[in-house]
Amino acid sequence: MFDIAFNTFDEIINMKGHGIYVWLVYSISILIIVLSFTITRMRIKNICKRININNASG
Amino acid sequence: MYPYLLFIGITTLMIGWIWGVLYAPEDFQQGNSYRIIFLHVPASIFAQTIYYFMSICALMHIVWRVKLAAYLIKSAAPIGAMITFIALFSGSIWGIPTWGTWWQWDARITSTLILFIMYLGILTLHGSFSNLEKADRLMSILVIVGVVNLPIIKKSVDWWSTLHQPASISTSGSSIDPSMLMPLLISIVGLGFTLISLGILSSRLYILNREKNKKWVLEHV
Repeated sequence: MFDIAFNTFDEIINMKGHGIYVWLVYSISILIIVLSFTITRMRIKNICKRININNASG
Repeated sequence: MYPYLLFIGITTLMIGWIWGVLYAPEDFQQGNSYRIIFLHVPASIFAQTIYYFMSICALMHIVWRVKLAAYLIKSAAPIGAMITFIALFSGSIWGIPTWGTWWQWDARITSTLILFIMYLGILTLHGSFSNLEKADRLMSILVIVGVVNLPIIKKSVDWWSTLHQPASISTSGSSIDPSMLMPLLISIVGLGFTLISLGILSSRLYILNREKNKKWVLEHV
């Protein structure tokens, strides 16, 4: 169960011709998830900044 | 709590994905393309789970007028749309080597597309009203109406003859070998924690945005 299913790095990339599908799906999905976190955090930071500016100006 | 959940989620998800993509054995029929399952199945599960969560919130908002429930719907909907898109996208790419096509208008795929459109519709509907209380109410009603699609997604593979395979995991057991099932279950748990932490972040953003003129927000920030 804990033996790696591939012998070389090339096999990991190619996966007998299916690597393009597998790696494309994982890379795009990870990018979407990471972007969701980044954009949400940035928007929270921006709104906190705006609230603080409004608060300071009374 | 958010950083801890995110840490647990990402660590678990990485263990599940690395195990599944690199260590699980090759499938005798689908070859290595089946490794998309470790992303596609968790994404599909949470595409529906998030909608169930939203429908409970919608019920709470309609029946008891709980304002926070409407805020949670509005925070969860973009995450639901995102994860449904990932489920559709990963399924389409998986379909190319397995079925020879990236799209088929079969019952499971079409009902999942309707779920994605429902998420976008909920967000669009809420954004089109300047009266936010009215927007909350109508959004909750639309969420309740959309619940009818969930059993259709679940049962579509049993009710109709579809290209999509029937469920491999159910309450009565699993048809997947344990060497593939274990990383799949770990991936489901990992994605769950990751999405909960994104949900906390998203609801924080929406509550701050909505209540930005309230005294408690000024004190909190």
